[in-house]
Amino acid sequence: MTADAAALDILLAVLLVFLVWRLLTLSDLFKATILFIVFGLLLSLAWVRLRAPDVALAEAAIGSGVTGALVLDALRRLGAHGAVDEARPLRLNLARLSGGLLVACLGAILLWSVLSLPAGWRGLSAEAMAAMPHSGVTNPVTASLLNFRSHDTLLEIAVLMLAVLGVWTLDAEPKPSAEPAGPILDLLVRILLPLMVVVAGYLLWAGGHAPGGAFQGAAVLAAGGILLHLARPFYLGNHVIIRLVIGFGFAVFLAIGVMLVVGGGRFLEFPSRHAGTLILVVEAAATISIALILLALFVGNVREGAGRDAP
Amino acid sequence: MTTAAWMEALLAAPLAGAVIALISGRRAAALVGVVTAFATAAASIALAFAVSRSGVLRYAVGGWGRPLGIDLYVDGLAAVMVAITGVVGACISVCAAGYFAPKPTHADLPSDKHDRAWLYWPLWLMLWGGMNALYLSADLFNIYVTQELIGLSGIGLIALAGGSAISAALRYLLLALAGSLLYIVGVELLYAGYATLDLQQLRDRIDANPSTFAAAALMTAGLLAKSALFPLHFWLPPAHGHAPVPVSAALSALVIKTGFYLVVRLWLHVLPGLAWAHLATLLGVLGAAAVFWGGVQALMQERLKMMVAYSTVAQVGYLFMLFPVASVPEALPGALLLAASHAAAKAALFMCAGSVLAVYGHDRIRSINGIGTRMPLTAVAFALSGISLIGLPPSGGFAGKWLLISAAFAAGAWWWAAIIVLGGLLSAVYLLRALAFAFLEPPIAGFGRAPWGMEATSLVLAFIAVGLNFAARPLSELLNAGAG
Amino acid sequence: MTTPIVYASAGVAMLCIALFGFLTARHVLRRILALNIVGSGVFMMLVALAARPDPPDPIPHALVMTGIVVGVCVTALALALLRRMFADEGSARLPEDREFG
Repeated sequence: MTADAAALDILLAVLLVFLVWRLLTLSDLFKATILFIVFGLLLSLAWVRLRAPDVALAEAAIGSGVTGALVLDALRRLGAHGAVDEARPLRLNLARLSGGLLVACLGAILLWSVLSLPAGWRGLSAEAMAAMPHSGVTNPVTASLLNFRSHDTLLEIAVLMLAVLGVWTLDAEPKPSAEPAGPILDLLVRILLPLMVVVAGYLLWAGGHAPGGAFQGAAVLAAGGILLHLARPFYLGNHVIIRLVIGFGFAVFLAIGVMLVVGGGRFLEFPSRHAGTLILVVEAAATISIALILLALFVGNVREGAGRDAP
Repeated sequence: MTTAAWMEALLAAPLAGAVIALISGRRAAALVGVVTAFATAAASIALAFAVSRSGVLRYAVGGWGRPLGIDLYVDGLAAVMVAITGVVGACISVCAAGYFAPKPTHADLPSDKHDRAWLYWPLWLMLWGGMNALYLSADLFNIYVTQELIGLSGIGLIALAGGSAISAALRYLLLALAGSLLYIVGVELLYAGYATLDLQQLRDRIDANPSTFAAAALMTAGLLAKSALFPLHFWLPPAHGHAPVPVSAALSALVIKTGFYLVVRLWLHVLPGLAWAHLATLLGVLGAAAVFWGGVQALMQERLKMMVAYSTVAQVGYLFMLFPVASVPEALPGALLLAASHAAAKAALFMCAGSVLAVYGHDRIRSINGIGTRMPLTAVAFALSGISLIGLPPSGGFAGKWLLISAAFAAGAWWWAAIIVLGGLLSAVYLLRALAFAFLEPPIAGFGRAPWGMEATSLVLAFIAVGLNFAARPLSELLNAGAG
Repeated sequence: MTTPIVYASAGVAMLCIALFGFLTARHVLRRILALNIVGSGVFMMLVALAARPDPPDPIPHALVMTGIVVGVCVTALALALLRRMFADEGSARLPEDREFG
């Protein structure tokens, strides 16, 4: 490795830690949130440096993008009064001191575990590479997510559905004051929206052999929806069509898993000849559902004419 | 059908039911929910029989096998937990079918909530599916995902009550998320050390070094927070006390046990190689503190539901007294029998509180006069589940405590036995206090009518709690079938 | 070989600072941010671990992507609950944290 690259790594690492410190101590939560989004983008850069482009895409799209949009939206709805945190996190007392000591001990042990790891650590990379020819795809991360550890991913899509169900159980929120979208936002929507649909489709298709896949594609689609929502606010509700689309990806995934059992295999055991096709079907269905789920999480439980006003 | 088929059914059925209930919406969700509940309960019992007949089974989801893929694993312990969840879960579903019916009849569920009440079904079935997946999983990270499934559905279910349940749900969420993250740090350390996430492989490869101890400590801390062991119990009473009745029952009776189960799995089956006598003693001491703290708090509560919730804090304590005496063979069956009878009795007690709420419009302990004459079924259910919680014979609580006490004497640690007996006296005091008010005459002129579904289910659950008195032997046999 | 160690150490630092921040923060939004960063710290340790062999170990990548998606779900639900609590009770702190500054 060249000295330049090492310097870049150290700089990025220090910057990340500094951002964390700043955003946890700033009293203005709006500024802290902006730093949080910047932190997410820099984190994607770190993932690239660590040769994890799939994680980088997921971080930029979901970890930083969708989460950032959600936090900013929540701040807007809390208003100026709710967005200030007058508590000073650095004023020490006995409880904080002991908490700090405990955390410092934890840090020391974690650091020890990082530094004491043998240089030849291999993990499961050899096993994964040996299994790749039977996985139906050529991107090892997609193979891990949708084939080797497909059970995790199935349950993960269930978790996504649960988040929407949880939001739906809450009382409807008052409609935010609708400001007419400016011409720039309008133009942006017109240009970006079709582009985003194309990019999402590309990411979905590319996932089999290159960085990309259902989650990243879905996040891009959802971002398009969020942009549209910002320009012309709409309400999703929980009508049967919405529920159908939200449940669709999970239902397809589960149904394929069960049908493989009925066909004499094990749960979620993709026959290696059809694995590629099955994974693409699952991913396509999941992309649509996840995109709508992320959008529903952003739009929240706003209903026209419903809800009390915020104090 | 074979053990494998029942495992597949237990994973897929509740999840499929959940997504069908979600899509079918308000009109058919309850029907889908109850049908799925009975099917899942039947499969849970069938799995227990299959395991006792043919022993443990490892099942490679996706056909890859560990360490690359995710394995399922069922032994006696997992089968017992799945069976408890199945039986109590079916009863809770019956109760919920009445509770969340379209007609608003319950004081604690505001009428404007009723257009959203059907959301209970997909959330509850997901919760159930998550618990089954957790008990059957042999993979550390997969267990994390199932915990998130359980946590998120639990939070949604608590939030159904609205009002002050919202902040309780938020507190629970923050705590559960922090607990999960500590757990994940432990998973990272173990993966770095042993390049596998499979419980059995970890057991074979584990050696004592600081990193392994740190992993074990972090995961245990995260799990203790979720199982609400003193002093990490503070989130439980508001969350369980403010949730809708079937949700309180499910959380207190079943969800709390998932954390306990994972601690048992971790320390007794994955890390027996670590010398952990001090930690076991610490867990026992925390358990003892929980028994007293929860008992005293329960005694001071004004509301019946809150009293029942604090009683859970105390009952969790008994379970953790397993660890200091775990080397004695009677200890684990004793703790599991206690867990089973607590699940049945606690679900029954929450339903009793729910029936009282429905009839009296409130659940203030001082003014529930006349339950004995107005709601005899509820009064009997209350008394029977109380017997089991106190640990009087004949009841599952008695049989479980008896086993734990004999284990304590066999281990030469009589003081644990003393704490178990004293804790039983404490629970007798708070339960009899409530019962005394319940049998005071004359009955206050009330308004509502007791929901028969809730009353009947609470009675069934109370009889199960008592009947578990005779379950010690089959339970030990099932555990041994798993071990053999 | 140094790149993974640099980032893993940064991950440890992020994790610890954010954990301390979670313990001391009172505003629920900051607590949510802190927990998100604790997650990022763990994920960074995992991805740094995966970067040691060549080609990288894909399993930690899959775990981290699952973790990121689960994280956004929990965050979204937490924010929705926070907004509801703020609308009902006028405070963005949990009831026990409201008394003192």
